[in-house]
Amino acid sequence: MTAEPTEEDLQSIRLESIQAAEEAIREASSRPDLHLVQAIQALDDTDKYLNVTATRASEWYGLHFPELTQMMQDNIALCKMISDIGGRGSFSKENLGGRGLTDKKVEAVLEAKSRSKGGEISDGDLGRVRALAKLALELSSQRDSLNGYVESQMKKVAPNVTEVAGATIGARLMAKAGGLDRLAVLPASTIQILGAEKALFRALRTGARPPKHGILFQHNEVHMAPKWQRGKIARTLANKIAIAARVDYYRGSADASIKSALDKRLESIKERYKDPPPRKPERRGPPPREGRFPRREKTRRR
Amino acid sequence: MSSILKERRDGRTFLLTRNLATGKRVYNEDLVVRDGVEYRTWDPFRSKLAAAILKGLPEDIITKGGKVLYLGTSTGTTASHVSDILGEGGLLVGVEFAPRVAREFVEKVARERKNVIPYVADARNPEKYAISRVDVVYCDIAQPDQTAIAMDNCKRLLKEGGSLLLVVKARSIDVVKDPRTVFEEERRRLEGSGYRVRSVIELSPFEKDHAMIYATR
Ligand SMILES: C[S@@+](CC[C@H](N)C(=O)[O-])C[C@H]1O[C@@H](n2cnc3c(N)ncnc32)[C@H](O)[C@@H]1O
Repeated sequence: MTAEPTEEDLQSIRLESIQAAEEAIREASSRPDLHLVQAIQALDDTDKYLNVTATRASEWYGLHFPELTQMMQDNIALCKMISDIGGRGSFSKENLGGRGLTDKKVEAVLEAKSRSKGGEISDGDLGRVRALAKLALELSSQRDSLNGYVESQMKKVAPNVTEVAGATIGARLMAKAGGLDRLAVLPASTIQILGAEKALFRALRTGARPPKHGILFQHNEVHMAPKWQRGKIARTLANKIAIAARVDYYRGSADASIKSALDKRLESIKERYKDPPPRKPERRGPPPREGRFPRREKTRRR
Repeated sequence: MSSILKERRDGRTFLLTRNLATGKRVYNEDLVVRDGVEYRTWDPFRSKLAAAILKGLPEDIITKGGKVLYLGTSTGTTASHVSDILGEGGLLVGVEFAPRVAREFVEKVARERKNVIPYVADARNPEKYAISRVDVVYCDIAQPDQTAIAMDNCKRLLKEGGSLLLVVKARSIDVVKDPRTVFEEERRRLEGSGYRVRSVIELSPFEKDHAMIYATR
């Protein structure tokens, strides 16, 4: 602090501060979370188009060079070859280089070319397949760019959810809830089954067991876990995500203690439920009646 | 002439502050005229400072022409009355970090009152709003570590001999402890750092489990 500001200084500081404050408010009110919600859905859409398009290109091109389409596991790499090289006849050692293929694989492709059982293809049809392959490549790069946006924006908009759930799963939960504000008010039990609405309603209708996880099933900790631990892990994750979303929404700053509490809890679940539970005897009796409220699943708490 | 008016009616005391932005309301307070001057009613159930004054906090801590650093203005309910009290020539530096509530504070209070400078900032970063030393630091941010935050702000921005008004919400510091114990602990924390605690005023019945600590340095 230096000299005291004069009244004049203060008035000019005041006008600047008001503008800066309004700018900060405007920025926050652009609701970056809603943009993220659109981006993650666009990412999932793009993934779908990409799959469909690349599969179509591969199948079509397979009429002409089936050996190649069978050999290539990676559809994107295949599309890149189709788009870059074109017809079977144009494949050469040179233009197969620089694609991350082993020498052996290059040999195999050239070998296949010389003895291909594929049919001839007109220039027109080849052009159409190549255009399709190119479209797949564009979708793939669009997909990567959306993915990068989701990863980096999630860290800014919801740092704690990102830490606990990961960027994509966190964003999907936010999309299902309809925004960070909505996610922040959901109870953990709802977060646990977000994305499993169909199974939930089926359970309510038929009295079957309610789902243990929805989107959260995509989380490594859940789907890599042995079956009998999954429900518990999903519940723990959901609890921490609920806390994380609240902190993100109301406080906005990262809090490392949430993730470390999660890790500790997961550790203890894995230790405690190492062994599969004894098999339950087959359920007997009449099947649950239509429309009955489901039997409560008994859950053992700590 | 003081900008706070106290009126007794039906055995109760009512507080009014002289409206610095004539004709304008900030929330849904009443505008009333006394001796040709417009005042705003100041509800102790909505403002912890009004509650503290009714429960005995001296009125001469925040005075006409003085400078106040207000941490946690929220939408500006209390801050607007502080601005009234400071009057022309006074200064209120208002800090609030949640954009949603800061919007109202900026629109309805800062834009309308020349003695208010708003900051959308975290009270943990006093360098963001260090424009002047002040006579009073008023802190109502409901954070578990708010006493430390308040003291840090005082160290950098409070004048020698200035005052700290600290609103303590027991539940935001410790949910299970007895509120009195929490108030006592915060008092000792201040005293341990060289503050003189002048009073600890509980705000019931206006606010449950809240206290206003008045300290000087
Ligand atoms: C209890 S409210 C204040 C009410 C206000 N003093 C009144 O009487 O009208 C607490 C406010 O402090 C804000 N706050 C909390 N932590 C903060 C921080 N670290 N920096 C700035 N503001 C904060 C909150 O967003 C909230 O609006």
